[in-house]
Amino acid sequence: MAENVELIKGASLWRDAWRRLLRNKLAVFGMIVIAIILVAITIGPALIYWLTGYAYDSIPTNNDLVRSLPPSWGHLMGTDDAGRDIFARVLQGGRISLMVGIISTTVSLIIGVSYGATAGYLGGAIDNVMMRIVDILYSIPYILIVIVLLSVFGGPSTPQWIKWLSETLGGAGNQGLSQIFLLFFALGLVSWLTMARVVRGQILSLKNQEFVMAARATGVGTLGIIFRHLVPNALGPVIIYATLTVPSVMLTEAFLSFLGLGVQAPFASWGSLASDGIKNLAIFPWQLIFPGVTMAITLFSLNFLGDGLRDALDPQTRKF
Amino acid sequence: MLSFIIRRLLIILPMALLVVTVTWGLIRLAPGSFYATDRQLPAAVEATIRQKYGLDQPWYKQYGMMMSNIIRGDFGDSLKYQGQTVNEIIRRHAPYSATIGILAYFLALAVGLGAGTIAALRQNSSFDYGSMSFAMLGLSLPSFVFGPILVLVFAFWLYWLPPARWGGLVNLILPVLTLSSVYMAYIARLTRAGLLETLRSDYIRTARAKGLDERTILFRHAIRGGLVPVVSYTGPALAGLLAGTVIVEKVFAIPGLGNIFIQSVLNRDEPLTLGIVAFLSILIMAFNLVVDVSYGFLDPRIRYE
Amino acid sequence: MIKPAIVFMLVVSVLNSCSTSGGGRYFGKTVAPSDNVLRYVSGSEPASLDPQMSTGQPEARLYMALYDGLVENDPKDQSPIPAIAKSWEISPKVDEFIFHLRDNAKWSDGTPITAKDFVYSFRRGFTPDTISPTADVGYFVKYAQAFNEHRVFVRKNGQFFLEKDFGGTASDTPAPFGPETEFHKLIHQPDKLTLDGDEKKRAKQIDADPKLKAAIDGAEFVPINAEDIGLEALDDLTLRITLKQTAPFFLGVLTHQFFRLVPEKAVKQWGKQWVRPEHILTCGAFRVKEYRPYDALILERDPNYWDAANVHLDRIEFYPVEENATILNLYKSGGIDAFLNHSVLASWIDDIRQYKDEYMNFPENATAYYSMNLSKPPFDNPKIRKAFQLAFDRVALSNFRKVTRPLYDITPNGTYPAYDKAREKVSEEMRVKSGVSPEVWEKREKFDPDQARKLMAEAGFPVEKSGNGYACPKFPTDQVAVSYNTNETNKAIAEFAQAQWKENLGITVPLKNMEFQTFLADRKALQYNGFAQSLWSGDYMDPYTFLSLHYGKINNGGAGFYDPAYDKMLDDANTELDQAARYEKLARAEFYLMEKLPSIPLTVNATNWMKKPYVKGMYPNPGTLIAWKFVYIERDPSKWDHDVDDIMKQPDQQYDKQMQELTSTQKAAK
Repeated sequence: MAENVELIKGASLWRDAWRRLLRNKLAVFGMIVIAIILVAITIGPALIYWLTGYAYDSIPTNNDLVRSLPPSWGHLMGTDDAGRDIFARVLQGGRISLMVGIISTTVSLIIGVSYGATAGYLGGAIDNVMMRIVDILYSIPYILIVIVLLSVFGGPSTPQWIKWLSETLGGAGNQGLSQIFLLFFALGLVSWLTMARVVRGQILSLKNQEFVMAARATGVGTLGIIFRHLVPNALGPVIIYATLTVPSVMLTEAFLSFLGLGVQAPFASWGSLASDGIKNLAIFPWQLIFPGVTMAITLFSLNFLGDGLRDALDPQTRKF
Repeated sequence: MLSFIIRRLLIILPMALLVVTVTWGLIRLAPGSFYATDRQLPAAVEATIRQKYGLDQPWYKQYGMMMSNIIRGDFGDSLKYQGQTVNEIIRRHAPYSATIGILAYFLALAVGLGAGTIAALRQNSSFDYGSMSFAMLGLSLPSFVFGPILVLVFAFWLYWLPPARWGGLVNLILPVLTLSSVYMAYIARLTRAGLLETLRSDYIRTARAKGLDERTILFRHAIRGGLVPVVSYTGPALAGLLAGTVIVEKVFAIPGLGNIFIQSVLNRDEPLTLGIVAFLSILIMAFNLVVDVSYGFLDPRIRYE
Repeated sequence: MIKPAIVFMLVVSVLNSCSTSGGGRYFGKTVAPSDNVLRYVSGSEPASLDPQMSTGQPEARLYMALYDGLVENDPKDQSPIPAIAKSWEISPKVDEFIFHLRDNAKWSDGTPITAKDFVYSFRRGFTPDTISPTADVGYFVKYAQAFNEHRVFVRKNGQFFLEKDFGGTASDTPAPFGPETEFHKLIHQPDKLTLDGDEKKRAKQIDADPKLKAAIDGAEFVPINAEDIGLEALDDLTLRITLKQTAPFFLGVLTHQFFRLVPEKAVKQWGKQWVRPEHILTCGAFRVKEYRPYDALILERDPNYWDAANVHLDRIEFYPVEENATILNLYKSGGIDAFLNHSVLASWIDDIRQYKDEYMNFPENATAYYSMNLSKPPFDNPKIRKAFQLAFDRVALSNFRKVTRPLYDITPNGTYPAYDKAREKVSEEMRVKSGVSPEVWEKREKFDPDQARKLMAEAGFPVEKSGNGYACPKFPTDQVAVSYNTNETNKAIAEFAQAQWKENLGITVPLKNMEFQTFLADRKALQYNGFAQSLWSGDYMDPYTFLSLHYGKINNGGAGFYDPAYDKMLDDANTELDQAARYEKLARAEFYLMEKLPSIPLTVNATNWMKKPYVKGMYPNPGTLIAWKFVYIERDPSKWDHDVDDIMKQPDQQYDKQMQELTSTQKAAK
C-alpha cells in the first residue's frame, strides 16, 4: 500500500519509477550489459582495427588465410569463409541490428500505442474505421512495399537527406547503408500494427473502469484520459510486447537480407551473421555460436530491463 | 452482438478488394516483369507478350478487367506456372501450410498458456525465471537457426527423423516444433503479463474477498481477463501461420503457400500474388473478427455498441 | 520447452564434432535402393513442362527425360547423338540438313511420330502467339526470326522485294541438296526483304531508306506465315531444315530444349493446359506418372518409347528443393541419390572433396563475368576498365571460391580443347605482331596492380600511397557499384572484388545487392552503375554461344556493347566450313572483343554436385544435362563408381554398349 500513498502525495511518476527500477537487480544487470554492448559496438570496431588491423570487411591478402579459422588469440571469435574476423563483424553487425531493433520498436511504440489507445477509447465507428485500416495494412505484403521503396528511393534518385544520413553514419561512399534507412522505414511501417491491436484490446477492458469514469467526471479531456490514465495502466503488456518486437524486427531484417532487400554486403547484421553461420554449423560451429550468443545475451538483457521497467512503471505495483 | 458480427462480415469483402487494389498498385510500381529473364527478348516478341496479356491497354482498363474477374472469384492463370489457375494453386498448397500452422499453434498454445500461467502465479519464483528465460531463448533463436539445429540433432545424430520434405507424420515433427517455438514464447510471455495484470484488478480482489478458492478465481475469472493480450496477438498470428511461413517451408522443403507467395512477388506473378493476398487478407480479417467477438466473452467489461 | 535440452546437446556435440566428421568412405547413408528408382533434386520448381516455354536449366533437365528431339546430348560431352533422327545428311555449305527419322518412334499414347510432328512443333515454337522465350535459339532457321517477330514480305506486281536490292548481301545459288520440291524452290529463291509488322515502325523504316521509299508505292505487305519457314517434311520419316546462313554448330543447337517435340494433338485440344498431368503427351524415355507441384514430379518408364529396352530406371522422382543446406541434408540422410549442379556450399567443399566416389568437380559450359556499363562514366573509359581488370586477382578469387578456375576470356577454357588451341595460336600471332616477350605477354591480362595504378593515373585518377595501402581520392565512388542479384555466390564474389580493389587501387566500390527482377530491369536498361554480375550458361556446345553475347545492337552481354566490326568478324567466321579455320576466326574475334573489354571475366565454374556411388551411367557433362536413359542403379558394391574424377574415362560395359548401338545408325549412314 505504500506506493499508493506515494502516488496520492503526487510524487513524480518517472522519478519514482526510476527509483524502483534501480531496486530491481535483474533490471540493473540488464542495463549494465546493454550499456557495455552499446559501448562495444560504438568504439569496438575502431579499437579492433587499431589493435589488430582487422575490420568487418577486410579479406586477408594472403590466400592461405582466406578461409574459416577457429577462434585464436588473433581472432577471438574465429573467421568466416572469406577469412574475415568474426569479432569485428559481430560488433559492426550489432550497430545495424540494434539500430533496426530500437528504431522500429520506437516507431511501433509511438504509433502503435497512440493509435491503439485512441481507437480503443473512442470506440464505435471511429474504432471500427481505425482498426479496419490496420487490417488492410496487415494484409499488404510488406516485401512488396520494401521492393517498391528500394527501387524508387534506392536508385540514382535517392533523396538527399537519406544520402546525408547514410554518409554520416557509414562513412563516405557507403551507398549500402542508405538501404538500411529505407528498411527502418518499412519495418516501422508494419511493426506497429500488432502493437496497436494489443493496446486497443487492453484499453477496451480498462475504459469502463471506475478510475476512468472518475477522471471523466472531474473534467479530464479525452487526450488526458487516454495518455495519463489509460495508457499507463496498459503499460504491462505494452512493454512486454515491445521487448518482443525487438527480436522479431531483427529477424525480419535477417529475412529481408536473405531476399536481397536488407542490409548490404559487406555490412552484416546479427541476423545475417547467424543465417550465414547456421549453414556451417556442423563444420565451423563458431560462425553461429558467437553472433548467436551475443544476440541472445543482448535480447535477454533487454528483456530483463523491459520486465523491470514494467514493474517500475506499474501504478499499482505490489508483490504477490 | 449479432448485428455487429454481420456488419463486420459484410465489410470483409470490400476491404479485401481494397487490399488487392493497393497490392496491384505496388506490383505495378515495382520494376521488372513476369516475362523478364536474363535473356533479352526481341522487341517484337515483347510487344506480342504485352498485347496478349493486355499490358498495352490503359491502366484503368487493365484494372477494371482484373477487378471484374476477381469479383467473380476468378483470379485467372498464374503467369509463371503455365496452365495452372491461381485458385487451384491456393487450394492445393494452403492445406500444407494449414496443417503445420494449426499443429504448431496448438502446441504453442498448450505449452505457452501453461508455462505463462504457472509463471504468473509463482511470480519471481525459479520456475518463473526459468520458463521466461527459455521463452526469451525461443525468441532469440530464429527459425532459420532453430530448424537446422533440430535437423542436426534429430536427423543426423539420433537418426530418428527425416531432415526435410513432406511425407508421413514423422516429417511433420521438426517443422511443427520449429514453427511453434517462437509462438510458444510469445504466448507464454503475453499470458504471464496479462495474468499478472488481471490478478491485481479489483474484481479478482472482490472474488478473493468473497472467499472463492484460488482455483476458481484463476480458471473462472482471472484467466479470461488475462488472455486478452494473448488473444489480440493470436488473430493475426494464426492467420499468418495458416498462410505459411517462408523460412520453415524453405528449410524443410515443404510445398506450403508462404514460399509460393514470396516467390510470386519475386517473379512478379501478379495474379498469383493478388490471389494469395486476397486469401490472406480475408483470413486476417476473419480472425480479427473472431478476436473481437471473443473479447466480449473473455472480459465482460468489453462491450460493442 | 524442448529447447534447453537441444541447446545442451548442441554444446556437447560441438565438443565432439571433430570426431564425428570425416569418418566413413561415403557421405551419409549409402545403401542402394531395392527398387529401380532414382530420386533427384532438380532445383527450383519447373515453370512449365512445355519444353518451348521455359528458359531455365532445371527445366531443361526434366525435358531431357520427358521429350526427345531429332538429336540428343551425348551424356559425357554433350555433342549431338541420334535420337528420333537415326541419321542425317548435311549440305556442302552446312546450311541445309536432312534428317531420317526412326520408324518406331511413338508418343506416350502410342501414336507414331512423323516428320510432320517436327514441322508442327518447330513452327509452333516460332509462332508469335506461343511467345516462347527461347525462340531466338532457333533463329538460324530461314525466315524463323521474321515470322517470330511478326514481320512482312513486300510484294509488287506479283514479285517479292529482295534483300540484295535494298542493301543486303546477295546469297549464292545453293547446290542442289535432297529431292527438289516446290517448297525447296521457293525457300531457295534469293532472300526476300522483310519489314516490320508494326505499321508505324514500318513507316519509319521506309522513310529512312530513300530507295525503298521510291519503290514501295503500290506494293502490298504480305505477313510471313509459318509455312514460309525453312522446314519441310519430305515424307513421313524425312525432314529437311533450311537455314539462313552457314551454321556448322547447328546440329548442337538442335539438342536445345526449344527443339524438343511437342504434341500437336494435345496442344490443339487443351491449349495451355496441355501440360497438366491428365492431358500431357510426351515422347521421351519417361512419362509423367504423378505431379505434385513444389513437392515432387514423378516420372515412369514409357513402354511406348522407341528405345524402351535400353531405359533402366523404372521411375525418376524429381524434388524441387532450392536451399543448398536442405539439399545436402537430404543427400546425407539418403533421401535422395543425386542433386543438381552448383549445390554444394562453398564452405563445405573442402570436407566434401574427401568423398572422392561422389563429388563431381568438372568444368562447366558457363562463364561468370562482371559487365561494365559502357554508357556511363567512368567505365566508358577503356583505361579504367583495364585498370579494374588488372587490379583483380582472379587466381585468388578462384582459390577462395574453391570450385572455380580463373578466366581471362569470355569463352570458358577447358570446355572446347580445339578452340583453346586456336586461341593460343591467335594469341601467339598477336604477340609477335606487338613484339613483346612471351613472359610479358603471358601477364597482360593477369593480376598486375602496378600496371593498374599506372593506368588509373593515365586516366586522370592518380592512386596515392596512404599508410599501408592506397587511396584514390579523385575517383567518383558514388558513380560506381557492383550490382548483383541475391545469391550466396554472387555475394561472396562481390565482397571479394570489393576487397581486391580497395587493397590494390584504394577504391571502395559499394556493393548493391538486388532482388532478381529489379536487378534484371537495371541491367537491361543499363541503369546500373559500374559493374553488374553476369553468368551465362551456354545454350549449345560451341564457343559461338558465348561470343554472340556481345553480338548485335541488343544483346545478352549486359554492357551495352555494340561494334559492327566485331559482328562482321563473327559472321565471317560462321561462313567458314573448316572447323579449325572457323575457330581461328572466332578466336580472332574474341581477341578483338577482349581488347575492347566490355566485361571482366571472372571464373569458369565447376559442376559441383554429388551422386551416390551406386548411381551409374550418370556423367558430369558441361551443362549437367543428364541423359536419364543411361542411368541405372548398381546393387553390387564392387561395381560402384570409384574416384569419380576419372569417371569420364572409366569404361562401363553397359553404357559403352548402349552408346555404340545408339550412334551406329549415323555412323552407318556416313
